[in-house]
Amino acid sequence: MRAPLRPLARILPARARGEDTAPIEAESRRVRAREAGRRAHRTAQLRLALLGLFFVGAYGAVGMKMAVIAATPPAEPLRAGSAAPFVATRADITDREGRVLATNLATAALYVQVRDLVDPRRAADGLAAVFPDMDADRLHARFTSGARFMWLRGSLSPEQQQAVHDIGDPGLQLGRRERRLYPGGNLAAHVMGGVRFGDQAVDAAEIVGIAGIEAAYDEWLSDPANEGAALRLTLDTPIQAAIEEVLAGAVGIYDALGASAVLMHAETGEIVSIVSLPDFDPNDRPVPLLEGSPDESPLFNRAVQGVYELGSVFKIFPAAQALELGLVEPWTMIDTKGPLRTGGFAVRDFRNYGDELSLTDVMVKSSNIGTGELALMIGPTRQRAFLDTLGMLDVTPVQLQEARRSVPLLPPRWGETASITISYGHGLSVSPVHVAAGYAAMVNGGLLVEPTLVQGEGGPTGARVISEETSGQTRDMLRQIVTRGTASMAEIPGYFLGGKTGTADKPRPTGGYYDDRVIATFAGAFPMHDPEWVIVVTLDEPEETSGREVRRTAGWTAVPVAAEIVSRVAPLLGMAPDMERQDPHEFTRAAHE
Amino acid sequence: MSYLEANYRAVPSGWRKILYLNWPLVVLLTAVASVGFLVLYSVADGSWAPWAEQQSERFVIGLVAMVLIAMVPTWFWRNMSLLAYLLGIALLLGVEFFGVVRGGAQRWLNLGGLVIQPSELMKIALVMMLAAYYDWLDVKKVSRPHWVLIPVVLILVPAFLVLEQPDLGTAMLLVAGGGLVMFVAGVSWWYFIAVGAGAGGLVYAVLESRGKDWQLLQDYQYQRIDTFLDPSTDPLGAGYNITQAQIALGSGGWSGKGFMQGTQTRLDFLPEAHTDFIITTLAEQFGFIGALTLLVLYMGIVFFCVLTALRSRDRFAALLVIGIAASFFLYFAINIAMVTGLAPVVGVPLPMVSYGGTVMVILMAAFGLVQSAHVHRPRGVR
Repeated sequence: MRAPLRPLARILPARARGEDTAPIEAESRRVRAREAGRRAHRTAQLRLALLGLFFVGAYGAVGMKMAVIAATPPAEPLRAGSAAPFVATRADITDREGRVLATNLATAALYVQVRDLVDPRRAADGLAAVFPDMDADRLHARFTSGARFMWLRGSLSPEQQQAVHDIGDPGLQLGRRERRLYPGGNLAAHVMGGVRFGDQAVDAAEIVGIAGIEAAYDEWLSDPANEGAALRLTLDTPIQAAIEEVLAGAVGIYDALGASAVLMHAETGEIVSIVSLPDFDPNDRPVPLLEGSPDESPLFNRAVQGVYELGSVFKIFPAAQALELGLVEPWTMIDTKGPLRTGGFAVRDFRNYGDELSLTDVMVKSSNIGTGELALMIGPTRQRAFLDTLGMLDVTPVQLQEARRSVPLLPPRWGETASITISYGHGLSVSPVHVAAGYAAMVNGGLLVEPTLVQGEGGPTGARVISEETSGQTRDMLRQIVTRGTASMAEIPGYFLGGKTGTADKPRPTGGYYDDRVIATFAGAFPMHDPEWVIVVTLDEPEETSGREVRRTAGWTAVPVAAEIVSRVAPLLGMAPDMERQDPHEFTRAAHE
Repeated sequence: MSYLEANYRAVPSGWRKILYLNWPLVVLLTAVASVGFLVLYSVADGSWAPWAEQQSERFVIGLVAMVLIAMVPTWFWRNMSLLAYLLGIALLLGVEFFGVVRGGAQRWLNLGGLVIQPSELMKIALVMMLAAYYDWLDVKKVSRPHWVLIPVVLILVPAFLVLEQPDLGTAMLLVAGGGLVMFVAGVSWWYFIAVGAGAGGLVYAVLESRGKDWQLLQDYQYQRIDTFLDPSTDPLGAGYNITQAQIALGSGGWSGKGFMQGTQTRLDFLPEAHTDFIITTLAEQFGFIGALTLLVLYMGIVFFCVLTALRSRDRFAALLVIGIAASFFLYFAINIAMVTGLAPVVGVPLPMVSYGGTVMVILMAAFGLVQSAHVHRPRGVR
């Protein structure tokens, strides 16, 4: 029975007798405290006992499980069957015609079961004889260091395998390995990316894509269901090789840090060639740089990872948008009286082009002021929406691992000043692939395309960006830039190349811009009366030194390179120069028929 | 009422205390540790280096520490509890910022050449702290919400720090060990039922949401659950350890292949053969009989601890001993459950047997606390 809080039965009579009730209450409290203590102790003991029971139960369960396992015959076959997912061959990668770009080579890895070595000294000497870079004494030291197992080599040629076999020591063992092989070497290196070994077992190793399409399609390529199949790209090997050759020459002539080129089908977005120089051999990937800027590494894909302010090539977008919005016509006169002041900052032209130019001439002469006026007409909101539609504000969907991390750099505040600088290609950094996709939509009749490297993916989205008519007017302007404007060196008789130049000062890492380092770009399409191909060429820090002073503008650097590429590649694309077509403005009408 | 206030005369004093140690416990601990030496010797292919030798040195250090700690009255350790807890938290924070990374996890702290794993220290410090807390707290208040919240926070802070390292296994041990101390301290059943129901509901929701629009986890996390439920679906990936461990356990059969005759472990099929998965090495060589013997030894250790706790009339001592016993048990249970495939692989060593310095010394020190409670238990009164 519980002790009452106050023992009134005893207190009341005591109070009636006039006695002190304090001792009675004190005794009562003591009793209650003792009872509470006992109850707590009982609770604790009960719970302890329960816990003990739980321990016993758990021990029992564990013991039972061990007994069950002990009673089960060991399932050794699991190991034999389990290697299957590793052995599955990674799918090949081919170009658009089925020419192999990446395949697998059966090799062997060399490992050592040290305890099985009959004679470590002899084995070490033998290995040193087969592999000149191995040191017999060092090997022997490793064999006797107490380690029981070690890998020596990742992949051995058949001759080496035989030589190791001939040493005849049972401790030296060969494990089957697949090695990824890129027969083209440096060809399309940045697209291929490369692989490394993943999980290794004695008899197989997993191959994991680490860059480029190998990484982006790693899951598909390594899926056993696709064994024997091939990933067919949109690349065309001979064209890729031709462009790489021209570009490499250009890097030499102009003493450039690097260069990139993208050749894309204007209607489907299929990229038949994408080049970035300097390049590397994916069979033997260089180690990534630990310091310095990432674009100093040959692993850097300028066409995709290089988000640059590409300068005046951007001007065609505000021009097309202003036409599309009905704000101007190609012959509308635009104010080009400089400088154009905005937000405490003055926009100037390369030369003074007079007080006003027609829209076409703003493009032909590449007037920053004129383009800035267009941006003012359009306004930041509409400009931003238009560039967003073109995919300029987001990562490009092209299927390379690097593309997913190369986010265009947007101005912190897209106000009037930003909209003016963006109109001539400063303040917004995108990759050459972005520009190629944008140009495709400008010239193909106004339909948005999704750049793709894999056949059967991407392609036309069906979304209309500008009207047929605006697209035709845009083509007309792009063509005239070549026939009588800044890209005059791009005129190749019969191919009707049109396009826009861009010479952008490179930003200093410390802020501001260099005045003697540029990125020179040519973005264009051909043949301009019915464009099939979009080409974007960029040169990083080119210098043309044949004249009295050093020339860096795109018209002197990127444009002749683009022209050389087109004249080399057009025949490979199955195009013959069309000498019948005379009138440079004929195509405008043709497109309207 | 603590024993100190009435019965100090009944407690042995001076070096005589050594006679009053719980000697069966010492024998059991030595036996378990010896099993460890034997297995480590065999994993190293019949060599004391590199593992068995170091492990036995640490055992001797631990043994000395245990005896020294046992000589000090329990009240001293109660007074040290808060300090130990704060030290543990400080070291965990130290790991967070200055820790050494090994094997992808930042668990180790380098103190002038001595590399330790503060999370191991924290397990004991947490138990001490909780025992001291409940010793101080009026028993009537034990189940009141805010008095329940305090120990919950005391448990979750180090658990979270350990989870950051990341070390899921130790975080689980901290939470489970702390929870058991709270349970024995008499916290209302309803709290445990509520937590259990909440956890069950969460697990149910996670499994139920799979493949629906409101899927709670990523696909790869579900794949890990699949692997746990059926290791053979991924025999070379996450399931590799478990599959190989079960082959090793199974291939030992009832009486084993004999000392130094294991093939799975000797042929390197089994990773971690000298740390977390050491029981498989044992089972392969000595079979079910060997594993069962170890099981019985562990049971004996826990049994003697529970006995000490039951006999103790001091709340701090009882809770401390039961907390240490519970931690020890959980170590063992989770490790075995993991190796036999009853629980996911979370990286908990087999106590006293797995190769690992901090665990060994800390556990022996913890058993020093148990011994202290045993030596200084009240005698001769009711």
